[in-house]
Amino acid sequence: MSLSAVRDEPAPTAAERVSDAARLTVPYLLVVPGLLFVLGVLGYAVAGGFWLSLHETDMFMAKTFVGLQNYIDVFNDPRFQSSLWRTIVFVIMSIVLGIMMSMIFALTLYHVGFGKRFFRGMSLVPYFVSGIAAAIMFRFVFTTSGGFVNQVLSVLGLHQPSWLGDPVLAFIVAVLANCWFMVPFATLILLGGLQTVDRDIYDAATIDGAGAVQTFFKITIPMIKPMLGVSLIWVSYISFSTFDIILALTAGGPQRATEVVSMYMYQLAFLQLDFGQGAVLMVVLLTFNTVLSLVYIYYFILADRRHGREL
Amino acid sequence: MAEGYVEYRGLKKSFGATPILHGIDLKIDEGAFVVLVGPSGCGKSTLLRMTAGLEGVTEGQIRIAGNVVNRVHASKRGIAMVFQSYALYPHMSVNENLAFSLKMRKAPLERITDAIKGAAGILQLSPLLERLPAQLSGGQRQRVAMGRALVREPAVFLFDEPLSNLDAKLRVEMRAEIKALHQRLATTTIYVTHDQIEAMTMADTVVVMHDGRIEQVGEPLAIYDRPENLFVADFLGSPAMNLLDGKVVATDFADQPRAVEVTDGVLLPIPSEAEAEVGQSVVYGIRPEHVQLVAPDAGEPVTMTLVEPAGWETHLHADLKGISLRILSVERVGAKPGDKAAILIDPERVHLFDRATGRRL
Ligand SMILES: Nc1ncnc2c1ncn2[C@@H]1O[C@H](COP(=O)(O)OP(=O)(O)O)[C@@H](O)[C@H]1O
Ligand SMILES: [Mg+2]
Repeated sequence: MSLSAVRDEPAPTAAERVSDAARLTVPYLLVVPGLLFVLGVLGYAVAGGFWLSLHETDMFMAKTFVGLQNYIDVFNDPRFQSSLWRTIVFVIMSIVLGIMMSMIFALTLYHVGFGKRFFRGMSLVPYFVSGIAAAIMFRFVFTTSGGFVNQVLSVLGLHQPSWLGDPVLAFIVAVLANCWFMVPFATLILLGGLQTVDRDIYDAATIDGAGAVQTFFKITIPMIKPMLGVSLIWVSYISFSTFDIILALTAGGPQRATEVVSMYMYQLAFLQLDFGQGAVLMVVLLTFNTVLSLVYIYYFILADRRHGREL
Repeated sequence: MAEGYVEYRGLKKSFGATPILHGIDLKIDEGAFVVLVGPSGCGKSTLLRMTAGLEGVTEGQIRIAGNVVNRVHASKRGIAMVFQSYALYPHMSVNENLAFSLKMRKAPLERITDAIKGAAGILQLSPLLERLPAQLSGGQRQRVAMGRALVREPAVFLFDEPLSNLDAKLRVEMRAEIKALHQRLATTTIYVTHDQIEAMTMADTVVVMHDGRIEQVGEPLAIYDRPENLFVADFLGSPAMNLLDGKVVATDFADQPRAVEVTDGVLLPIPSEAEAEVGQSVVYGIRPEHVQLVAPDAGEPVTMTLVEPAGWETHLHADLKGISLRILSVERVGAKPGDKAAILIDPERVHLFDRATGRRL
């Protein structure tokens, strides 16, 4: 039967072949302009920034090629070194806290029955608020005299710290503000992941005797690994690049306690007008972001056992 | 009365305010292969999931091995379930899938290895143990799902339409395999399907469900030969039973004092023991394979309207004075649409139902 079916199949006509080719290529053609636009702008900015990092600029924007001198200066600059360490701590704290919060929110939203849509919609609100606005909100909340948190503490008769005046506390508040800004989107990504998991799999795990914690770590997490990877990329990227939130919240203070690399970059480039060294910092941030994203992509997205792909 | 191994007593289920199961009473013997069959949406899966402990009980009791298990956790009921979607853990190898329940139970490693070896041997999974579900064919996934149930050594196997995602040929093979597995292990099995062929061929006992109620329980052939009501008569059998509205009338024949008039002047014979009174409105049921085609003068005249030769049998449609009849012949019938023929009906093959209640008379 199959033999004759093959033989009876008429050869595709020229028109059919053209339409097949069109069917295969048109989607790619449609993507090309957008891709070119993104890559063009991004490529231009990155290439331009890299080029700038190899030059010395004076206040009249005249450039002199200096090779890697800017890199040597920056890496030997103690202020840069401490800002880099600060950034790394900031990013790690943000990732841990941010992913934990996103996961808790995603699981909650997944399970709420009543008012599901409302809560899901609400969770997008912070995403529409700019980083600056978020930071200003956090300043209201954490202002030492009359801030919401301290008012609550005073009603409870507790010590009211100077949140934004204390170096450690200010750093923590900056992490919180950063999380507030980025968690909703990460939540939606994770929620999307949760919703793709076949409910039968949870039923099977229940029958197999997996408790809530085991189910979470042995079923849920591996099942949403790609989505977890995407949200990690998002959270890491936002945290490494965070600028507006810290600028409006603490401007890097007190005593540079919140001066992360992006803040220092702003300082170097736009206040000290040393564009070359500022560009070096941009290259540093870009490198960190890229490497980290590649690591996530490799471990969380490419190696997906669900599709039969292993490391 | 003896207890069933699995037993439902007045079992009811509502989702919110919507009642889904209206009171299920059923006893299932130890070692039996029971098939729950019924149209889609009649509550088969719900009943099975309640048995598994995946859905709560609204009212009534579920008993397994003499104990009420209403509040016993799914993992402690001694059941194993095979899902229609297989529900394999896609990120785990076959080996890990099989081992999962035993690991959750903290079984010793040798015990896990032995169980996997045993199940893999029975189901021919040994060469597949390192593969991921994505690297398996549908039939292989199905077998892994069964293997996962097997390693738990359950007291009751629950199957929810396990073959619906397979192609027709594989379905027939797996049907035989599941049946063979049951004959080998003799584990009590509750098997849900909407496919009457599966129900008929696999079951020791068929439970026909409809709208959250049990319509009839019995051995497959017993149900087929003696459907207790119109629903069962119509549901089981393919092509379906001819069901003709009619009225019981008296005749002049001594050996056949009553018959059913299905349309003006057409009297069809009924079994002598049928408890039908003259004048009663009935539904006259006769299976297509029990309508005998004879030469034009030898019976009730009909006109052929459709002939469908299937190779091993022939499906025919005939017009009996405006009534359409399905006829099934195991022979190759040379008739063409428009041909005149006649039919004969053996009264002992006739099923008579009360039209008002749908009950068998
Ligand atoms: N979780 C649920 N919530 C609400 N209604 C449900 C739920 N599960 C099943 N139902 C309803 O119960 C009825 C029976 O469903 P089910 O047991 O799956 O039928 P079957 O397996 O016989 O096709 C259907 O009408 C279905 O819509
Ligand atoms: Mg079902």
